[in-house]
Formats: sequence, C-alpha cells, structure tokens
Amino acid sequence: MAITAKRREADASGHSDPQIAFAGVTLELGGKTIIENLSLGVQPGEFLCIVGASGCGKTTALRLAAGLYQPTSGRVNFDGQPMLQPRREIAIVFQDYGKALLPWRTAAGNVSLALEAGGMPAADRPARIEELLRTVGLPGHAGKYPAEMSGGMQQRLQIARCLAQEPKTLLMDEPFGALDAMTRQGLQDEVLALVAASGATVIFVTHDLDEAIYLGDRVIGLLPHPGRIGIELQVNLPRPRDQLSTREQPEFLRLRRQLFDFIKATEQ
Amino acid sequence: MSRKATIWLWRAASFAVAASFIALWQLIANLKLVSPVFLPGPDRAWASLMRGFSNGDLWSKLAGTLEHMVYGWLVASIAGIAIGAIIGSSKLMRTYVAPSLEFLRPLPVSAIIPVAIAMLGLTQAMALFVIAFGAIWPIMLATIHGFAAVEPRLYEVARSLQMSRLAVIFKIALPSASPDILAGMRLSVTVALILSVVCEILAGLDGLGHWVLLSARAFRSADLFAGVILLGITGYVTSVAMSMAEHRLLAWQAAQR
Ligand SMILES: Nc1ncnc2c1ncn2[C@@H]1O[C@H](COP(=O)(O)OP(=O)(O)OP(=O)(O)O)[C@@H](O)[C@H]1O
Ligand SMILES: [Mg+2]
Repeated sequence: MAITAKRREADASGHSDPQIAFAGVTLELGGKTIIENLSLGVQPGEFLCIVGASGCGKTTALRLAAGLYQPTSGRVNFDGQPMLQPRREIAIVFQDYGKALLPWRTAAGNVSLALEAGGMPAADRPARIEELLRTVGLPGHAGKYPAEMSGGMQQRLQIARCLAQEPKTLLMDEPFGALDAMTRQGLQDEVLALVAASGATVIFVTHDLDEAIYLGDRVIGLLPHPGRIGIELQVNLPRPRDQLSTREQPEFLRLRRQLFDFIKATEQ
Repeated sequence: MSRKATIWLWRAASFAVAASFIALWQLIANLKLVSPVFLPGPDRAWASLMRGFSNGDLWSKLAGTLEHMVYGWLVASIAGIAIGAIIGSSKLMRTYVAPSLEFLRPLPVSAIIPVAIAMLGLTQAMALFVIAFGAIWPIMLATIHGFAAVEPRLYEVARSLQMSRLAVIFKIALPSASPDILAGMRLSVTVALILSVVCEILAGLDGLGHWVLLSARAFRSADLFAGVILLGITGYVTSVAMSMAEHRLLAWQAAQR
C-alpha cells in the first residue's frame, strides 16, 4: 500500500520528521489540568487511533492538534512549525455532524464552503463538488439539504467537505459514534480507502477498541485526570484490512485483549 | 379529509365571515342605526374608493404613505441588522448593552415624537426618524438573538477553513440568523405602517393618514372609510408579501421539520 510503503521508506532513511508533534503539552481549562505533559509524534501518512474512557481528554487532545486550543505549556508543531491557529491543511471531522453542517446549504453548498475558503474560482467548483460527492458515495444527492439526509449520509457529507480542504492531516472525533453497526463498518472501509488514496495523516478518536485496532497503524490509550498516555500499541496487521478476516487474526485478538485490559484497569 | 380540502374549507369559511361582516355593515347603514354622517355604507365607501383612484387623489396619498413606510422600514432594517449583529456576536456587548435595550424597548414611540418634532420640526426627516426608531426594535432584538444563537461548532468549522471575518459574517452568521431577522422584519413592517400614518396626521405630511384626518374634519365619512380600507389592504398585502418572501428565502427550514 502506498502509505505503508511511504512510511517504510521514511523509516529506512531513518530521519522522518513527524507531521504533528506534541512536545510536553499541558492544557488547563477553567483551572483544571485536562492534559498533562503529553508528548507524541505522528508520522506523515500514519493512521493513529486514540482510545480512552469517557472524559479522559481525547477530544481535547484532538482540538489541540487542530489548533482550536493553545497549550498552557509545551507546544504543538505541524511540519516543524508551531501551530498558533487552525489551518486549512488540517481538517477536522466532528462527531456531531448535525451541528457541523450548514443547514441552509445543500450538500453541494456545504462542500462548496471549503472550496470557496480555499479560493477556488466559481467556475471550477461544480465539477470538483461532483467528484467529491461521488468519492464519499453521495452521487445524485447534491441538491439535498442536510436535514433531508440520514445520519450516515450527513457524516459522509462532512467527510467530503473535509476532503475538499485537501488536508495533509485529517482529525476525526468519534466520527461514527452515532451510527449503526452496518453503516459504521461500511464507512470504516471507505475512510481507509480514501486515506490510502490521498496519503493523508489521520488521528482518529474512538471509544470502540475494535474500530481502533481495525483502522490504525498505532493505537494510543489515554489515562484520565489528567489526560496522559497510558498505553501505546503498534498494529502490525496487513493492509488492506478486511472486516472478516482481519478481525479473526490472532494478532488482532491479542491487541484487543491488551487494550481491553488497559481500559478496564483505568475504569477502576 | 385531505389537507388540500381542509385548506379550501377554511378559505371558504373566512370568505363567508368577511362577506357577512360587509352585509351586516350594509344593513346597519341602510337602517340608519348610525348617522350616515359618521358611518357610510360599504357601497358609498367603495364608490369613494373608486372615485379617488380614478381621479388620482388616492394613488398619490397611497404613494406618500408607502414611501414613508418603506424608507423608514429600510433604514430600520439596515441599522437594526448592523447594530444587532455587532451586539449579538459579542458576549461582552450582550452582557452590558442588552439590558439597557430591554429598558428602552418598552418606551412607547409616541413618547419620542415630541422630542423628534422639537429637534427636527414637522418635516419628512422627523417622520423618517420616528418611523425608523419605532421599527428598529423588533429587527434589532431579533438580530441580537439570531447572532447569539449561531451554533458554535460552525464557527470552529470556519476557523479550520481559515475563513475571513467578512466571510464568516455573510456565510455563517447572517444565514444562520436569517429566520429570526426576517421574522423581526415582518413585525416591524406593520409598526412602520402605523407610525407613517401617525406622522402624517401629526405633521400634515402627504399620505393616507393626512387624507383620513382631512376627511374626518370635513365630515366626508365615505372618503374617511375609503382611506381606512386602503390602509387595511396595504397592511394586509405587505404582511402577506413578507410571509411569501420568508417562505421562499427559508425553504431550507422546511426540510428540517
Ligand atoms: N472547556 C472546558 N472547560 C473545562 N473543562 C473542560 C472543557 N472541555 C472539556 N473539559 C473537561 O476535560 C475533560 C476531558 O474532556 P474531553 O471532551 O476531551 O473528553 P473525551 O475523552 O473526549 O470524552 P468523551 O469520550 O466523553 O468524548 C473532561 O473532564 C471535561 O469535563
Ligand atoms: Mg470526546
């Protein structure tokens, strides 16, 4: 696969710089330490999953990576530059897709928002919009308002808008949390395919341990109060992954067990 | 029963009520229960209305009133949306300015008319000021509310797209607040009509208000009623037009229900 190949190449040359780097990041909100001394590097093209108990700081960590929060101390770098504000190369898929879409714009209009922000001339937009909607499996829905779409379709639409940003990094906060199991598995595979095609770096937050292992190159488990890294697992499962056979592999089951024990321990 | 049939039934019923109201009016006039000096029958009022239109008198009065109403309403809309947007999009402003607005709002506009006359005289400028001042409140308060209620998530989407301040206002905040703003504008168009008539009566400015006043003074009751009927029609037509505009502009809201 293109990404794994790219990363192996980087590993071989021995000096791959992380695309996103947390260096001793501490964040206080309202006098409370939410994240403490978090250090973490995410390689270009890597698919990193973050799991952890509810309230342990997953969303907060993702918002730091997006530049929506500034650390109280330490720093977050993107491509070696300190991240002082959100940037278009980093797209974020919010969990609450219902709130993240513009209800007064059609599907096409919502995708267009990102193209407009990127300064694409109006004449070039329709073709690109159609292409993006096709990519996420929404061809023929361009004229629909978000309220006329199912949850799965709305989340696809949000992903299309994020892809329209042509992001180097895609941040996803429990993007499939509110969807049923079938839609969820379908979207997991679509995201893997999209990411493989674009070569984007991904940080994916989920509370579903199976989902984390199925998708990720690496899984990080956070400990709560304050949020910090409790476990780090390398996922050496072959790609492309398959909903049936990948989940049956002994390696998958071993990682699942390890992660499960970790989460159980944090919840006590 | 189908929805469509129900709607038609309601329309037929309301038409019947209006028709019987007019019939009753005619009956009272014919029986001279009220002196014809004060109450003309619908036939005489209608005749006066037609006469006024054919000789052009009423047209020019109607134009005068519409002009006052529309100008005042436009000024109120522009100022109300602009001020409302500034106050609504800042938490600080909302905390400190909004309470004073709540104090000013219930102040009857009639109370500022003497102030406006003292400062501006019996002029068109006075009328414009009074109409705009009265009509601004529903728009401004609705805009403040609309801007304060914009989904914060959308601002984060805008930030991660690095949208400009102007783009955020025109592509996110204004459309999001538009249902509130349009509702405020619909309320204030009626206020503007009422205040146009009041100003015309007080300052003798050309318009239906003045026409009604002069007709009353001259005991021309048919002309007086013609003017009142025309004002009623104006109010009705503008509010229907606003509802239709709202319906069109907010088609996306229909999908949400
Ligand atoms: N703006 C804020 N001010 C104060 N505390 C906050 C703020 N945002 C989050 N927190 C606190 O920080 C902690 C971590 O929140 P966060 O939303 O990152 O958790 P999470 O891991 O994403 O949880 P979940 O799985 O429920 O989404 C929580 O205890 C939360 O109450
Ligand atoms: Mg969260």
